Amino acid sequence: MFLDGKGAKKYGKNPYFLAPFLNLKGEDYMKEDILSVGIDIGTSTTQLVFSNITIENRASIVSVPMISIVDKKVIYRSEIYFTPLLSVTEIDAITIRKIIEKEYEKAGIKPEDVDTGAVIITGETARKKNASEVLKSLSGFAGEFVVATAGPDLEGIIAGKGAGVSEFSKEKGVIVANLDIGGGTTNISVFKNGDVIDTACLDIGGRLIKINQKSKEITYISEKMERLVEKLGLNISIGSKVDKNELKKITNIMVDVLEEVVGIKEPSEELELLITNHDLRRDYEIEYISFTGGVADCISNQPENWFQFEDIGFLLGKGIRDSKLTEKKSIFKPDETIRATVVGAGSHTTDISGSTIDVSQDILPMKNVPILKLTEEEENINFNKIDKIIANKLKWFRLENDKQLVALAIKGLRSGSFKYIQDISKLIIKGMEEIINSDDPLIVIVENDMAKVLGQTLKTQLNNNKDIVCIDSIKVSDGDYIDIGKPLAEGKVVPVIIKTLLFNN
Amino acid sequence: MVTEQELKSLIEQVMKDMGVNEKDNFKKEQVLEKVLNKNQYDDENIVDITAIDLKKQLLVEKPENKDAYLKLKESTPARVGISRAGARYKTETLLRFRADHAVAMDAVFTYVSDEFLKEWGLLSVNTKCEDKDEYLTRPDLGRKFDQETIELLKEKCDMNSQVQIYISDGLSSTAIETNAKDTYDAIVQGLNNYGIKVGKPFFVKHGRVPAMDAIGEALNPEVVVVLIGERPGLATGESMSCYMAYRPTVGMPESNRTVISNIHKGGTPSVEAGAHIADVIKAILEQKASGLNLKL
Repeated sequence: MFLDGKGAKKYGKNPYFLAPFLNLKGEDYMKEDILSVGIDIGTSTTQLVFSNITIENRASIVSVPMISIVDKKVIYRSEIYFTPLLSVTEIDAITIRKIIEKEYEKAGIKPEDVDTGAVIITGETARKKNASEVLKSLSGFAGEFVVATAGPDLEGIIAGKGAGVSEFSKEKGVIVANLDIGGGTTNISVFKNGDVIDTACLDIGGRLIKINQKSKEITYISEKMERLVEKLGLNISIGSKVDKNELKKITNIMVDVLEEVVGIKEPSEELELLITNHDLRRDYEIEYISFTGGVADCISNQPENWFQFEDIGFLLGKGIRDSKLTEKKSIFKPDETIRATVVGAGSHTTDISGSTIDVSQDILPMKNVPILKLTEEEENINFNKIDKIIANKLKWFRLENDKQLVALAIKGLRSGSFKYIQDISKLIIKGMEEIINSDDPLIVIVENDMAKVLGQTLKTQLNNNKDIVCIDSIKVSDGDYIDIGKPLAEGKVVPVIIKTLLFNN
Repeated sequence: MVTEQELKSLIEQVMKDMGVNEKDNFKKEQVLEKVLNKNQYDDENIVDITAIDLKKQLLVEKPENKDAYLKLKESTPARVGISRAGARYKTETLLRFRADHAVAMDAVFTYVSDEFLKEWGLLSVNTKCEDKDEYLTRPDLGRKFDQETIELLKEKCDMNSQVQIYISDGLSSTAIETNAKDTYDAIVQGLNNYGIKVGKPFFVKHGRVPAMDAIGEALNPEVVVVLIGERPGLATGESMSCYMAYRPTVGMPESNRTVISNIHKGGTPSVEAGAHIADVIKAILEQKASGLNLKL
């Protein structure tokens, strides 16, 4: 019975069980597939993937259930489309919708089959006028449970995970920076032992300047590039004939800035100029670099025609190949390049909660719930005052947001006593009085494994008169948003998507 | 432990060997005082090696990648990354091994304290085992009670309740003192939420798991639940199990028991386990079944 040895390790010390590690009825431990969609509408390309995410109860029958994600598999990849635009600043929502509809049909998947996933409008496109409108029309279509937005930091993280960079850093135990170089932006995420430790976003991309192949004229220059052209005194303007050497000066600056951001060169004014939101901290040594995004494919491929795609992607790619980036750092060849973000969106945005939770019936799913997080200091040092701290934060939050739903997040104790649970429950109820008196559910997210007992305690103290969502094993930060899906595995777990808009350590 | 009397005679012997006059009581007292005066020992700075978290300790010198090794160690309490001295363990590893073994021995051989039972207000009864030795060598007696004890239980405890929970030392009294109350409170809170009635708890000394069958026959509850100390290992001496059975009877198959094991601060936290157990008990009552007949 100790065939696989798995159970023996864990339960060998239990005197009453010789070997109950196999399900005696010969059934497999519970497995369940979740169908996830990823849609990436980027500055230059639009793509879609469907993934199967498999969850399984890995605990033996003598334990509290422990359900985790055991497999993620991309089961369908769409064609890569150029993102349809109405004008330079407006996405063609109708055509996008048609593309997505067509791909669902080709994959043989109905919107109602989709359990989870993410629609992401990335890069420069996200700043375009009608982005939220586009997302809205797709959200309804792409299944009941789909994310609508992502900031540049989350995009970078999603691309890094989709490319297998996170896995690689974990396996090798190294620090890897993934540079997702798309049409409009370069999203950088840095992974150490599988965890994200830093992110940044730069206005560097293949389509910040566009060229018409036939007329050999420049048709578009982004705002930041205009400033760069002006600063360097280059002879590049809309309508002017393309000059490869002049354009090379631009892409060389881009390459310099990439070298600077990963710490090969000292930071310059140009780096400052091209930062979209914030820089990397660089208080660690990057050992490996990987490239994803459309430009990644331009690094290794030699073009017949430099302006084949009517942009500066190939010039930028060549610049990177000849730079110190490939010389001074080890290069990790990612699993995905141009599809990194969409695979990440489809396979790596969904997580699942701990397996002992407490959720009132029929109140999920919920989307875009903002997080109110207590700091560890507030929890530990001022424990008896956290009701006031919570109430204050809630009041503050109300002033800044018109949103009704809010989730309280705490770390909790690793192994708290029953009294501790009673106390913290009372304090939470006191602090969240405003929510208690409203029709909104009380949502509490705990990092340590204590959600079930806390949920039951909250219910008891509220005389079973309030809808409650109390889930654990989830790490969130103040300012994050969370989507909580319908319970899976007979209600033992819920899928969650955490949307980190700000990434600060 | 050396008694004071033994120590006295030892000192007398040594002083005699050193040529100090046997009758020199003053000197003798002086020496004795110094030896027995605990303040003389400075053990303040001695590190309690069992307090070190093995998952966070890496003894390998000059590791190629310390962070990655520690990350791997997070997933197991096994003694990996302990390095070596020649073909042997390092001193620290050896001491820790023996210290952990001592913790396990203590967990088995100590009793759940009277204060603990008194504070909780638990009635304490004994199985047919007279002492720890008999308990360890005669598992058959650890599941039986005298007629007298059965009568006492019938008199003092609730008959025919929906759920009867009791506590038993099993093979780790430490596990019970550390976890049982928190788990019990969480179970009862959960069951009360569901409107399920729980009989008054009590304590069984020298108890084996199947003692719950005899309890079931004596008190006739629908579900019998026992919180019992697990045999300690070298990872923890504090691990507790919860066994549940629907209308257990003496001699029923072992497969009729449902169990949640590994309840301790490094496994499933005691209160969270209690909350989960409440749900399991509810399912047992609804399905009128336990063990392999229960669908969870």
